[in-house]
Formats: sequence, C-alpha cells, structure tokens
Amino acid sequence: MSRAGDDILDLGPRRHPRRMSMTPMIDVVFLLLIFFMLASRFGMDAVLPVAGGAEGAASDWQGAPRLVDVTPDTVRVNGTDTAETALAAAVADLLPEPDAAVILRPRDQADLQRLVAVMDLLRDGGLTNLILIE
Amino acid sequence: MRIDMPPRKPRGESIIPMINVVFLLLIFFLLTAQIAPSTPFPLTPPDSRSDIPAQARDVLYVSAKGELAWNEARGEAVWPEIAARDSDTAVEIRADASASAAAVAAHLKQLRTITDAGAQLVVSGG
Repeated sequence: MSRAGDDILDLGPRRHPRRMSMTPMIDVVFLLLIFFMLASRFGMDAVLPVAGGAEGAASDWQGAPRLVDVTPDTVRVNGTDTAETALAAAVADLLPEPDAAVILRPRDQADLQRLVAVMDLLRDGGLTNLILIE
Repeated sequence: MRIDMPPRKPRGESIIPMINVVFLLLIFFLLTAQIAPSTPFPLTPPDSRSDIPAQARDVLYVSAKGELAWNEARGEAVWPEIAARDSDTAVEIRADASASAAAVAAHLKQLRTITDAGAQLVVSGG
C-alpha cells in the first residue's frame, strides 16, 4: 500500500540509526583476498621418480642395452633415430621384463622440459623404471 | 481512482552482493591455497602428466642458470649439507624447466654418491 500522495510532507518513519560502517571490513577482506591470490601456488606439484646413474647399477643389468638419447629435437634409441610416437613401443621391445630399467641420456643442451616430455612418453608406455645419466 | 506509485528504485547498487562474492572468493582461496614456500630464485618446474603428489620436504633447487640451493646453502656448498641431513626420505629436485637436463643428471649422480635415499624430479602435474 503506497502512502504516496496522501501527504507530500510525510517522509515516513524515522530511519533506523545507521548501521556500523562496513567499509573497513571490506577493506580488510580485500586485502586478505589479494594476499591469498598472490601468495598461493596453484595446481598440485607432482614428482617423477628418477634414479641417478651410479656405479652399482650395471651389475644387475639384464637384457639388451636400452639407451635413450634425448636431444632437443629427436630421440635416439641405442643410437637410432626413433619417432616419438613409436618410442615407447621400440624401447618396450628391448625389455627382458616389463619393469626393467631404461637409461636416459640428455644430449646437445636438451633442457629439462624436453627430458620430462620424453619421460612422460615412456611412462605412458608403461616404462617407469628410468635412470638418468649424463 | 488511486493509482499506486511504482516502488521506488533503490539508491545505487547494493553493496551486499559484492561483499558476498568477495567472501566466497576469499574462502575459496583460503581452502585451496597452499602457501608457496619462497624459492631462492624464481623457477618454473617442467610440465608433466605425472600424478604422483609431491611431498615438498627436502628440496634441492636448481635454477635455469644451474645455480644450486639447499636451505641456506648455495652452490657447491649444498652437497655437504645434503650429506649431513638426518632424514632418509627422497630428495626432491625442483629444477627450472629450461635448466640443462645434462646438468640435472650430473646433480643426480652427485646426489647418488652422498645419499641412498633416492631422488625425485618435481614437475607441475596435470
């Protein structure tokens, strides 16, 4: 029910006393928000298990050599250029047993991202026992 | 005949919905955030499809230029520090994506000579 028009001078009931100002609280909340946006790290980090080449590793080596050379543009399996799509299958053919070790050797200033990409390819093919040598 | 006046428009936009959204964002960040431990130098781990979660316990940092850092130690001084640690959990190597892979391999080899704990390469998982 509108009372408009009844009495132009009637301004209605007195307003409630002003509520507490919210502005300082909003300032604080914004500060917290910006702090957490800047200070947090998104996306859980993951790890790749990797073994370092060492003296003892050769003693329990079994089967054919499996040396994967990683260069910035190509991948060589035992010195033979191999397409990345065929890499996991080519290496798997050399394994005496499914979880046997594979040696990775970065070459020609290949960076870590490149190495990790090749490790992903091998891991996708079920080869998880990777040894990294220089 | 009396005609009801249209209800008055509220003055300006109400601030309450904005505060609600800001609080939602704040709670979202509070719950999802993991405060990043400060790294000794800016570095971006390589991308990978690995889904093995990182533990972030003992971290050896390797920058894009090959600098090393372990807690307070820098450069070659990290190796005695790592050898002296009293935990046998795997060492996490947090190296920049553009670091030389051969250098990381060399660090792994060095690590292998001073600890049997093993090593893991930190990547940003997918």
